[in-house]
Amino acid sequence: MTNEILLQLLAAFLFTMGMLVVLLRRDTIMILMGIELLLNAANLSLVVFSKSAHMIEGQVQVFFIITIAAAESAIGLSILVNLYRNFGSIKTQSATTLKG
Amino acid sequence: MSPVIIILCILSAVLATTMLFAKSPITSALCLLGVLIMTAAIYGLIGEHMIATLQLVVYAGAIMVLFIFSIMLLNLTDSENEYRKKPLVFVTAMALGLSIFGFLAYAIKEHFGTHSAEKNMGMFSPEVIAELGGNSKVLSHALFSQFYVSFEVISLALLVAVVGAVVLAKRKID
Repeated sequence: MTNEILLQLLAAFLFTMGMLVVLLRRDTIMILMGIELLLNAANLSLVVFSKSAHMIEGQVQVFFIITIAAAESAIGLSILVNLYRNFGSIKTQSATTLKG
Repeated sequence: MSPVIIILCILSAVLATTMLFAKSPITSALCLLGVLIMTAAIYGLIGEHMIATLQLVVYAGAIMVLFIFSIMLLNLTDSENEYRKKPLVFVTAMALGLSIFGFLAYAIKEHFGTHSAEKNMGMFSPEVIAELGGNSKVLSHALFSQFYVSFEVISLALLVAVVGAVVLAKRKID
């Protein structure tokens, strides 16, 4: 087993954990953190594949993904503050105004 | 396979699992911070210095500060995990996660079993990168020559996100 396989397995594990965090936790902030973990796992996979294929496109892509993740978390957290201001809770069950 | 990378992998896997099962959001946030720092260390160890620095500054610095700041600002206390009350949901999600991890591991094994090296390789081997002046220089050069349109579009997206965050934070909803 080489470094690449180990790191790809780690990326797969982190992806699974992030997915389970998004699926199981009901706090909005936990869902956002799960999304960050998913993006981090994708970054790790891209960098290791690109490194082992002697390319730099993967690293450039990771640069863009990190920027998008920063933008996404800024927007997500300001939505979360608004959610807390309006409903007094950040549980997903409390924001049910649009639910039929 | 260096032992440091193995230790980092095990630690980040343990921290990710702790993040899933921790009760309070602050514990989860600190575990996520640990995972991000370990990933930065892995990037540094495999020679991607530019990405390691970016990961440390943007992810582990800026984004996690935002998360921990919001957790403390909203004074979030321990949330009882709802899935403890719903064993069926918990078991289904665990089975789904296990199967997805299994599929991914199988795909990785197949990929590294069938695709031998020295085929379809790019031109940026470690020797070439060292000759061109290091990882950061090569990456920055590609970013500002080959990918400059994407770079500009990303900067525009960042500007839109900043304006959107300010508007969302200032708006009063009646």
